[in-house]
Amino acid sequence: MARIQIKDLVKTFGAYKAVSGINMEIRDGEFMIMVGPSGCGKTTTLNMISGLETPTSGQIVIGDTVVNDLEPGERGLGMVFQDLALFPHMTVYENIAFGLRVKKVPPAEIDRRVTAAAEAVHIGSLLPKLPRQCSGGESQRVALARTIVTNPSVFLMDEPLSSLDAKLRVDMRTELKRLHERLKATFVYVTHDQAEAMTMADSIVVMSKGRIEQLGSPLAIYNTPATQFVAGFFGTPTMNFLEGTIEANGSGRRFRAPGIDQPLPDALPAGIAGRKVTLGVRSEHVLVDANGPHAGTVLITEPLGDATLVHFDYGQGKTLVAKVPPTTTLGPGGQLRFDFAPQACHLFDAAGGERLN
Amino acid sequence: MTHTTTGTHLASGKTRPLGAPARLAKWLASERVFRLIPFVLVEGLFIVTILIPFALTIWISMLKWRANRPFETAVFSGLDNYAGVLENEQFWFSVGRTFYFAGVAVALELLIGFFLAMMVTNCTRSKKLYTTIFLVPMMIVPIVVGYNFSMIYIDSGPLNQLLSPFLERFGIDPRIRWLSHPVAAQWAIIIADVWQWTSLTFLIFLSGFAALPRQLINAARVMGASPMQIFFRVQLPLLKPAIAIAVVIRSMEALKMFDPVVLLTFGGPGTSTQTVAYFLWEQVWQFNKFSFGAAASILLLFLFSFLIFAGIFTIIRQRNAIAGGR
Amino acid sequence: MAVASTLTPEQAKARRSRREGRRRILRHVALLAWTGFIVFPIYWMVMTSFKDSGEWVTWPPNWLPREPTLLNYSQIFAFSQLDASQARQATEQSFTIWKGLGDSVLVCTTASLVSLLLGTFLAYSISRFNVGGKYFRHTILTIRMIPPIVIAISILMYYAIIIPYVTSALIGIRISLFDTYIGLILIYTVTTLPFVIWMMLTFIDEVPYTLEHAARMMGASRMTVIWKIVLPLVASGMVVTFLFVFILNWAEFLLALTLTHPDVTTLTVLLNKFQSASEGRLYGPQAAIGTMITIPVVILGMLIQGHLVKGFSFGTIRK
Repeated sequence: MARIQIKDLVKTFGAYKAVSGINMEIRDGEFMIMVGPSGCGKTTTLNMISGLETPTSGQIVIGDTVVNDLEPGERGLGMVFQDLALFPHMTVYENIAFGLRVKKVPPAEIDRRVTAAAEAVHIGSLLPKLPRQCSGGESQRVALARTIVTNPSVFLMDEPLSSLDAKLRVDMRTELKRLHERLKATFVYVTHDQAEAMTMADSIVVMSKGRIEQLGSPLAIYNTPATQFVAGFFGTPTMNFLEGTIEANGSGRRFRAPGIDQPLPDALPAGIAGRKVTLGVRSEHVLVDANGPHAGTVLITEPLGDATLVHFDYGQGKTLVAKVPPTTTLGPGGQLRFDFAPQACHLFDAAGGERLN
Repeated sequence: MTHTTTGTHLASGKTRPLGAPARLAKWLASERVFRLIPFVLVEGLFIVTILIPFALTIWISMLKWRANRPFETAVFSGLDNYAGVLENEQFWFSVGRTFYFAGVAVALELLIGFFLAMMVTNCTRSKKLYTTIFLVPMMIVPIVVGYNFSMIYIDSGPLNQLLSPFLERFGIDPRIRWLSHPVAAQWAIIIADVWQWTSLTFLIFLSGFAALPRQLINAARVMGASPMQIFFRVQLPLLKPAIAIAVVIRSMEALKMFDPVVLLTFGGPGTSTQTVAYFLWEQVWQFNKFSFGAAASILLLFLFSFLIFAGIFTIIRQRNAIAGGR
Repeated sequence: MAVASTLTPEQAKARRSRREGRRRILRHVALLAWTGFIVFPIYWMVMTSFKDSGEWVTWPPNWLPREPTLLNYSQIFAFSQLDASQARQATEQSFTIWKGLGDSVLVCTTASLVSLLLGTFLAYSISRFNVGGKYFRHTILTIRMIPPIVIAISILMYYAIIIPYVTSALIGIRISLFDTYIGLILIYTVTTLPFVIWMMLTFIDEVPYTLEHAARMMGASRMTVIWKIVLPLVASGMVVTFLFVFILNWAEFLLALTLTHPDVTTLTVLLNKFQSASEGRLYGPQAAIGTMITIPVVILGMLIQGHLVKGFSFGTIRK
């Protein structure tokens, strides 16, 4: 079984708290992606799972064993590194065979397994080459083959695609996902790229400043972000945020900010009236509509092909971004009226950032 | 429990009892212990070969003892030896002379090395050839350099032959014994040092020039800076670390000057070329004044430790300035 | 703008090439002068090594040996007592190079190897675990900066007096490290360790630590990681460091002069001995020995020339 449990995990470097007491469980066979800005503690957490870093306190359980005191090699994990870490003085074959050789696997079996692993990622012809003779994508596959060959039940990946160019990165995403389907192993994947996390993960852990902000499926995280940080981290372009207050208006409640007076759906917790909040709306939920209640002046437009982003000023120099159909005729200086899709408004506490609705 | 490879591996790691050698190996391999093994070995070696002898030197420096008598006859004499060294004129003269040699030699080496490096950097086809030739002296054993120059300076040597047309015009016998004249002997030693160690400053500056970002110089040229301005405003400030390093390394080494003195002059004529290293060596080795030598070397170390720390500090600072700290 | 407009392009071009030509000639004059200064002493030594005794100190000196002879070389390379035709200097000793050569090779090789081994492992420890604190890599250099004469006097008394004194008191046998191979090897090892640590640090720092992490994840032990991953990647650096340290030891004079002779005699001490012989200076054999000492180091030095920069720059100069 390759279930991973993390209990009250803490890692400090001197006075700096890299990971401050996180708890999570990674199910067997799950593709779990840890995502967050650099310095959020995701790589440190991964390194503690791998055994390359020793936790300051807390427990890591793989299967049914507490692995805190096991050497990295004794934990039965495979890891792909950010810089791939291919041994430059060994051929591709020797790179892949290294893990088997140190485990004293008989040569005949090594040969069989190396060939099989290389075929699995389509690099059979590269075996006699040196890593420096391989292209970026090929090196990537070698690193994968080197990990696959030892049959680990858990794969740890530390931003493995960051060294690739944009197009190759997208191709490799699909390939990694297919690999996961085939191997049925547990994948723990670290990245700072929210698009990567959205496209590949079964579940996502969003981390910030050593803490878990939210844990859930990609869609849950996109549709109901638990904090303003998560809301701002996922989605392109970044979610629009407006600061204002909630006012009670009879039975309904309204969001009031300079130039904005937006009615809100009824399902809101009691006692919210009068609080300072941040309203979050994704660009696709800013509806440009000639009958909209609010007015704005277009600053610039960015055609994306399948849609066009309109940046506009809605008063006092504050801007919003709306995603409109590419057929739009709006241009800089033009006037527009707009509305917010009421069901897609996210309310966050202005001070703490936690979700209110 | 379904045993995947992981399962069996983990289970065996947990349950199998380890024997004593295996436990020792595991203990040695743990990061806490493993990283200290080479440190302990090297520090141990330093303690045995440097620190203990040094402590003994301090002890001996406080005895009244000459090496030609049995060690048992030595009696404690407190700081008498130190007083003796401090009162010894020759000691102070040799210290002063060492700084004089080092100052003149290092200044010349820096200047010549710098301009040679600048000129060679501007060469294209002949660059490699000049570099190879200019680096040769550094690799020659210092004592051989001493020998070479002793050959050149002798009264019937080639130096005098080269000078003879001028000297004979003034009616001077060209067969001058350079090494018998105090000032000439001092310069003989300085020239030998410059001959050998300009190659090192040249090397440091050459790599300094090579590391100068071309873009900066091109940018300055486009902005209309004259060659002089580029040199003083752009190149020289960027070369500051290389200059600092060259000064530190060469000064430290020049203050230890010993080999050319032995081969060229034996400190003579008189004591005019005695460096402090040679003075100490002579006291201990020729005159068996062990306690005196011990006291003098302790004092010398104190004198030098100030310079050593200044040097180390400079190196750390220049290195941090470049590497941005590590 | 104003300057450029007063000249036609042709004039500007001519001025430029004239200036550059003058500058190039001046540059080459200066560089050739220095080349002459560098080459001359070496040339003179090599020439002297081919001169017979009558030509060593003649006036005017001969720039080329009038009757080139290999006598000096046959004298220093003689295996046994010289026959009459060769023993022209009638000196009481035979000055063969074999003893010095053997001792130098033995002492320098052993000391350099031990130093390389210890220093490489400590450099690894410093690079990877910051052993000894942030500034240990700099402070280790202080050992190198201590004037060798201070060490020499301490070690001389330690080897020649204290150790025999202590051993005879403790176990009843007088053991002296003075004038022994072990004594000289020990002190050469210690004095070159700082350089090994420094040079190896620059090489080991360049090996990405993720390579080691990857190997450890695959189950390799710490020793396997060092042996299979780190050492192969710094092997060329180790060769360079070894050669550099070997050259340092090969050239060492003061410590050898103080701590050895006659049982152990390195080449540098041997060369000096010619001078103090009662017959006056034997310039010819000295020149022959000097040439023989110089050739291997100059060849080794040229081999590692490119890497010397790194070792001498103490990390302040980027490649």
